[in-house]
Amino acid sequence: MGWGVVDKEAELKRLMLRGLDGDPVAWRVLLSELRAALTPFFRRRLAGCEADAEDLVQDCLIAIHAKRATFDRSLPFTAWAYAIARYKLIDHFRRLGRRADVPLEEASVLLAEHTVEDGVVRRDLKKVLSILPLRQRRLIEDVRIGGFSLAEAARRNGFTEGAAKVSVHRSMKTLSASVSTDED
Amino acid sequence: MKTDDLIDALAAGLEPVRPARLDPALLAWAGGAAAVAVVLLLGARSDLAQALQAPTPWLKAIYTATLAQAAIWAAMRLGRPGVDPRPALFALLALVGAAVTWGGIETALKPPDQRMAGWLGQTWDVCGLNILLVSAFAGPLVFLSARRLAPTRPTAAGLALGLASGGLAATAYGLLHCGEATAAFVATWYTLGIAAAGLIGAAVGRFALRW
Repeated sequence: MGWGVVDKEAELKRLMLRGLDGDPVAWRVLLSELRAALTPFFRRRLAGCEADAEDLVQDCLIAIHAKRATFDRSLPFTAWAYAIARYKLIDHFRRLGRRADVPLEEASVLLAEHTVEDGVVRRDLKKVLSILPLRQRRLIEDVRIGGFSLAEAARRNGFTEGAAKVSVHRSMKTLSASVSTDED
Repeated sequence: MKTDDLIDALAAGLEPVRPARLDPALLAWAGGAAAVAVVLLLGARSDLAQALQAPTPWLKAIYTATLAQAAIWAAMRLGRPGVDPRPALFALLALVGAAVTWGGIETALKPPDQRMAGWLGQTWDVCGLNILLVSAFAGPLVFLSARRLAPTRPTAAGLALGLASGGLAATAYGLLHCGEATAAFVATWYTLGIAAAGLIGAAVGRFALRW
């Protein structure tokens, strides 16, 4: 897990810096990305009252907007956003009169949960990919899910770049064939 | 309101922002309020002009003002989500440690029969309370100066702001009113007064600093 988190951090931070300079387009993209990350983040931690997740997401987006000046440009974006999300979650629990027991996690969980939306998708994906031979499967995971370039993924799995290209192509063909026969 | 509409609305009116910090103008007002409170409530010392020619009041002021500065730094770090506040807390502890060490050495070098008198001075029983009284006037302005920040630990941030208020109050008190001149006295009773202001700040911050 945790694939693409580094790239994601760089992308979000770039958007954040542009937002701080007053770029409304970047800000809109950033808030949308955050919404997609925050929704599963809150839903998972609100076991039993998922209905509040949407309110909490809105609350958190407003806080991120209103308090954007507290972001230190020299520090990682994810750590800042995670600290706000965690604070809003604790505040929510406190208002409900529940003991606010929210463990301090790695800030990257905010992005990790966003990468594969929920367990169902992950399970399905695993099932579909399991028809491929292991080496081919790892390659396709790296390229199509992990966010590696073809050259990087080839190196990671011991392919030459040309062979990797062919392998990915074949794998995709196999996969799409298997999915479409499933649906018949 | 739908989340999509909310995002549109927030992005539409976006303006560039400068990094948030404690408002320096309000902090200056807080220092002024502390000075006024000392003069009006406790009275300036009668030998003020003469006393300020000597180094002692200024040494006291350096200690308490540096404490205030470190507390402001701590409040700033606590007011930025995801920033580690520990460097500022270590700085606070180091300052107190240095003052206590100095006071201890000074006391140890005195003849044994003068040690107690130097430590308690004339005013040990009112010093802390006076500092607390004065910080009640500086505190609201110090808290107000932090309103742009986003403390994710309101109690800790309140503690830092309370210590900053106490530091400002002690500085005004030490320069304008108090005639005590030993390091042991300052390291003990001034520090306790500032710490008490910090504890009250923590209790206030727990509620006042939520956002």
